[in-house]
Amino acid sequence: MSTKHSIAAEKFNQDSGRVTRHDQTFWSVRSKRDGLAYQLEEWEQLRESANLIKKHTITHLADYLEQFETNARKNGVHVHWAKDADEYNDIVMQIMREHNVKKVVKSKSMLTEECHLNDNLIRHGIDVVETDLGERILQLMEIPPSHIVMPAIHVTREEVAACFREKGIIEKHGAHAAEGLLKEGEDWRTSSDPTYLTRAARYHLRDNFMEADCGMTGGNFGIAETGDIVVCTNEGNADMSTSIPKLHIVSIGLEKIIPNYKAMGVFQRLLARHGTGQATTVYTSHFRKPRPGAEMHIILVDNGRSSILGNIEHWQTLKCMRCGACMNTCPVYRRSGGYSYTYFIPGPIGVNLGMLKDKDANYHNCSACSLCMSCDNVCPVKVDLSTQIYKWRQELDSMGHADPMKKMMSAGMQTLFEHPSLYTTALKFAPLANHVPAFMTNIKANAWCYGHTMPEFAKESFHTLWKKGKVK
Amino acid sequence: MSSREEILNRLRGNVRETYDFPDLGFRKLEFADPVAQYVETTVTTAGARVFEIKPTDDLNEKIREAYPDAKIIASNVPGIKADKNPDTVERAQDLEDVDVGVIKGEVACAENGCVWIPQTMKEKAVCFASETLVILVSKQNIVSNMHEAYERIKFNDYGFGTFISGPSKTADIEQSLVYGAQAARGVTIFLTE
Ligand code: SF4
Repeated sequence: MSTKHSIAAEKFNQDSGRVTRHDQTFWSVRSKRDGLAYQLEEWEQLRESANLIKKHTITHLADYLEQFETNARKNGVHVHWAKDADEYNDIVMQIMREHNVKKVVKSKSMLTEECHLNDNLIRHGIDVVETDLGERILQLMEIPPSHIVMPAIHVTREEVAACFREKGIIEKHGAHAAEGLLKEGEDWRTSSDPTYLTRAARYHLRDNFMEADCGMTGGNFGIAETGDIVVCTNEGNADMSTSIPKLHIVSIGLEKIIPNYKAMGVFQRLLARHGTGQATTVYTSHFRKPRPGAEMHIILVDNGRSSILGNIEHWQTLKCMRCGACMNTCPVYRRSGGYSYTYFIPGPIGVNLGMLKDKDANYHNCSACSLCMSCDNVCPVKVDLSTQIYKWRQELDSMGHADPMKKMMSAGMQTLFEHPSLYTTALKFAPLANHVPAFMTNIKANAWCYGHTMPEFAKESFHTLWKKGKVK
Repeated sequence: MSSREEILNRLRGNVRETYDFPDLGFRKLEFADPVAQYVETTVTTAGARVFEIKPTDDLNEKIREAYPDAKIIASNVPGIKADKNPDTVERAQDLEDVDVGVIKGEVACAENGCVWIPQTMKEKAVCFASETLVILVSKQNIVSNMHEAYERIKFNDYGFGTFISGPSKTADIEQSLVYGAQAARGVTIFLTE
């Protein structure tokens, strides 16, 4: 039985060049993260602290939210509460109407994606411009993000150049952007040089920043003790979005609240190191009060989060700070791409959040896991991602979605593991499988081999080598 | 019942076990020479330049030296010869054509190059919309790690502050690193005594 994920992944794998590039791109980010980890002796203590701070905050969330609200109000900021996506969109529209907003510049926010904000704004005749370069590319190409931190990484430079030409950005800003950049003989009308394209986008977005009447941002953290909203970016687009228009609307999920600056120090050190393999994002901005003559609104959005807290098996997904590390490391994500998943957040955390949102629509993603547990080992806040996916799989059974063939084989494996003597015998004969023709171990009728090529068995098992004292 | 109450009630009702805030007393990264490390981090990974400024140096000359082609300089730092002042411009948009913004950093962090810049001007756009930035940092205010930085930073009545580590950058097109995404394209740190 195939899931939507496995079918889409198979398609993605037909272009082997693209798969290899995708795989290598994310593995290199994972490796950069590791490089930074080795530089910090306190790495594991930071992760454990982050885990405990999140557990503490989430189990005292109502108190911290109230404290946050009180402090934000003291700072002259308007605070709103939205129980679901509809209420959230209504609040945004109400603020926009009061300010007669025509154009919004927006920095990247997964929450607004979750609540389909952009569609709603457009429906109400408001022009919305994404200002993170990757998000802007996707918006112009009318395609969704394929990763939560590097949303357009699957798009090639040629595709970006073609899109910018089609949308008139090259015609308007190309000549200016090319000044002093392109090599002799290179034509700005056709160039797909990333520096040049980024420059053209810079001028294009500048125009939008100057004209917008509202800036919208997400928030990586909200600090209860002070009422600060903290936004981390590399491009400075959240800062541009909030330094020029006279209205700033922040949208954050309830779980983004942390207690204080002590906690902030821990998370600041972990976020970029995990997400992009950098020691910090270029900008870590603290918004506490509105700018002189401006207004600031914070919308605290639930949309299912308070119910997740009551879910014994899955409440720890609320610890997630959306760094993206679990997708960067996931062998299935790296080789199947973001679009193979039915939920807009892919990778291990996306599998879990998708199930919490809508099981029937998203159970397909549960097959996108080899239970290698790499995600658990990289997550900065120690979300037990693979255990949770395992639990969902158990549940699929009762939903009638489990794959009967794989179930039978898993049962067989369990018998082996539970009976040591049988296991040793099976291992002894395993090398024989090396001499079995590949068509027998790799045939499509065999549900397990389909998508799992047969590994070569070692001539002597680790078990016997150990016994013979060959392993030191 | 308002959504606020509904949300808070549901959160309170759904808590089973509670957890304590952890002890953060573990040993943290410390550099023997934070100033040297700060310079190293800034010129390598953060992609900014560092100019050492002696007490006898003329800051305005140094700014010229750093950005000889600059036409419009914006600053409200006393003693800086500026063409625009972020305190007196009418609108943030008036700072769009600034070539060099000169601003003050209060705390700098050696582990990642972050410099704390509290808003000390009416229009903070000068910190972001300027093509390039000169950030004044005193050697006295450099700490090893972000825990120390967070203990030191202060807010004033403007109620905004940002850590900036270098020029704005992006790797959104095929992961190739490009400096100068939406905000400042270049940053020069003036390291004073
Ligand atoms: S689950 Fe962990 S690793 Fe994955 S995005 Fe969230 S915080 Fe990052």
